[in-house]
Amino acid sequence: MASPLLNGAPGETHLLLGNEAIVRGAVEAGIQFVSCYPGTPSSEVPDTFFRLSPEGAYTFEYSVNEKVALEVSGGATLAGALCLVTMKHVGVNVAADPLLTLTYTGAPGGLVLLSADDPGCHSSQNEQDNRIYARLAGLPCFEPSTAQEAKDMTRAALTISRELAAPALLRTTTRVNHLRGPVTLAEPTVLPKPAGFQRDPARFVPIPAFARPMHQRQLERIEKLRALAEASPFNAVSGAGAVGVVASGISRAYLADALDETGLAGKVKVLDLGFTYPLPEKLIGDFMAGLSTLLVVEELEPVLETEIRALAQRLGISLNILGKTPGPLPRIGEYDVAMVSAALRQAAGLPQPETAACACGADPDVPLANRPPNLCAGCPHRATYAAVRKVYGDTAVYSSDIGCYTLGILPPLKAADFLVCMGSSISAGSGAAKAAGQTVVGFIGDSTFFHSGITGLINAVFNQHNILVVILDNRTTAMTGHQPNPGVDKTNLGDNPVRVDIESVVRGVGVTQLRKVNPLNQKATLMAIEELKALSGVRVLIAEEPCPLFARRTLGVKRSQVAYVTGDCASAKADGSCGDCLNTLACPAFYVQDGSMAIDPLLCSGCMLCLQFCKNIKARKGDAK
Amino acid sequence: MSTKLRIFMTGVGGQGTLTATTLLARAALSVGLPVTSGEIHGMAQRGGVVESTLLIGCKSPKIGPGEADILLGFEPLETLRALPYLKPGGVVLSSSETMPPPSVATGKESAPSVDDIRAKVAAKCGSSCFLPVRSLGVQAGAVQSGNIALLGALCAMGALPFGKEVLANTIRATMKPKVAEINIKALELGAACPA
Repeated sequence: MASPLLNGAPGETHLLLGNEAIVRGAVEAGIQFVSCYPGTPSSEVPDTFFRLSPEGAYTFEYSVNEKVALEVSGGATLAGALCLVTMKHVGVNVAADPLLTLTYTGAPGGLVLLSADDPGCHSSQNEQDNRIYARLAGLPCFEPSTAQEAKDMTRAALTISRELAAPALLRTTTRVNHLRGPVTLAEPTVLPKPAGFQRDPARFVPIPAFARPMHQRQLERIEKLRALAEASPFNAVSGAGAVGVVASGISRAYLADALDETGLAGKVKVLDLGFTYPLPEKLIGDFMAGLSTLLVVEELEPVLETEIRALAQRLGISLNILGKTPGPLPRIGEYDVAMVSAALRQAAGLPQPETAACACGADPDVPLANRPPNLCAGCPHRATYAAVRKVYGDTAVYSSDIGCYTLGILPPLKAADFLVCMGSSISAGSGAAKAAGQTVVGFIGDSTFFHSGITGLINAVFNQHNILVVILDNRTTAMTGHQPNPGVDKTNLGDNPVRVDIESVVRGVGVTQLRKVNPLNQKATLMAIEELKALSGVRVLIAEEPCPLFARRTLGVKRSQVAYVTGDCASAKADGSCGDCLNTLACPAFYVQDGSMAIDPLLCSGCMLCLQFCKNIKARKGDAK
Repeated sequence: MSTKLRIFMTGVGGQGTLTATTLLARAALSVGLPVTSGEIHGMAQRGGVVESTLLIGCKSPKIGPGEADILLGFEPLETLRALPYLKPGGVVLSSSETMPPPSVATGKESAPSVDDIRAKVAAKCGSSCFLPVRSLGVQAGAVQSGNIALLGALCAMGALPFGKEVLANTIRATMKPKVAEINIKALELGAACPA
């Protein structure tokens, strides 16, 4: 079926996910090159580009990490291609090195970096505010608040980037990436083919003698961009009065509803900022003149607030500025309409209504049983964790990494004691082991190993660290939605012709103590772990078995059998007797009925791990699922 | 359009909560309503809670505590958990069939019974309707279509600014004929539920 994202006609309106709208905006700008590393909440952007790539007029790649993704597109833009690079906010830290110099060399073909930030840490290890990177690197910054704006700003950012050879930042937040709204399409631009790299060392080779004038040119470019921000349709003034509000990003949506809610629409002056850096100083100065109070509404860091305070001081404008230093708005988490309404009332000197009632009032109920995300039924990570825990128990420190397998933190597996960032399991684990001589087991997934585990492994070999590294190779990038990585056999577009073999990589960097097992074979896995435990130095266990969801959807594996508990199983009680798989494996397919453990045949994936723990569990032929 | 409507939806990962949300949003857009919807993904696929929103006449894709006009719960425990989002006098539609979280399924924690949940909900909302969503789905031809039965009941309660024909048209326009047929049957089964 023809996708409206590639083939939709100008004037058509479609309901699009924020991330799909970004794809359409890029297509309308004439996108030629897309590279990425997936990460929630950005992933639907590259995944959509990948899905449409057979018919799209662009080159697409899943790069091995964010630094590589930005460098690949950095080279492509030097050769004249219009580029989009996508990642989640913490990925920009990985890509920061090329980012801060690409703004010196510039992007002749145009380049936009999508940074999908995550206020509230819905699916991230921190809630850093990447608008600060716009300041640090000297990037124009665009912050959409609706699906339509996500499309329009992506297009504008790419167009402006190409016109000024200025790398640009498209900064979204989780709510924007994952909202859906109507988007009216426009006519795509058709760009000429990339002209190829044009040699110009003074412009493209930042040796110190060239880097100094490059910095000068970068500052001049920021002033050109500022002039564009002053006149941008994404920065608009409305309303009237002595109280003003400046808002950016998704906060503008909350503000619009809050103005309705408080009855203040039209009675206060509003400056919507969508093209937020370089700061349109004249626009903001004119906006502030004559105001008695200004409220700044932005999630996370007081970035605009601090810059506006400095601007007011420089312009000699005296007014009361409210924001988050010290208040009334918080510096952590997401905002919502109620929060913005309260701040608005305070700024406007209106009384606050009594606490908004909800239907349930103050329910005296005890907290409800939680429903945390869990490793799926049949997940091979459960098998690996169960074996490692059986051998090491609490005697080892478990250095974890980023992926589905971080969910191993939950009891009874308890296989995550510390975690820093992508790839840190091996390197941080090495350091932790060295410092006080503790036993450390590091866990890392296949995609994360390719992302930045390899460097840590080389370092561990070189520096003769003492660590057991378990590579949980489930043959895909499971957590973010089964994206391809260099090691996969197959993607949803077909076979991977250039499979990079993890075992060869591990041996190639000098690891000699290596075992490879299928973790669903518990006996072999236990034996391998025991053997590696008896050794010292860098040891690697590769536990290879495809993610069952991926196996079913992409590899076409059909389930042939399911597990069941035999009727005469006296020991299958929830009292801790028998193989006790209820308490050691905690598979989501297990449940307790009338005091006995049972297995839900609809949820059982047929991995047959539990059979190896208890003789009272048997296999029978299952329905093909 | 000045009339605002906020619908909060909640369910368990893999139940199709987001499919139902998108269908409802497409239906609203097809009759020209200014619609926004929101969802939180991430770790949802691994059996966690999935929450989504649908708002008409609002800019925000988010619903705060006490703001929802309608609460749609695809699992009763999740209906109860999301009750703080409902405004006083709001409408609740929920599945009456439980999918206990692992801690409850294995007897480590307890959860209120469906009757308890019904009573709590009835005491706190304007009107409510519980229906056997999974069974209706199975009856229609596919367990996943049960969500659409819940949307059918929502239409029948007159809680939406459009009728079930609009949803049926959207189903026909966006799904393969065979799947659409099952979902339209589920829509009808659900629509017959509210007394």
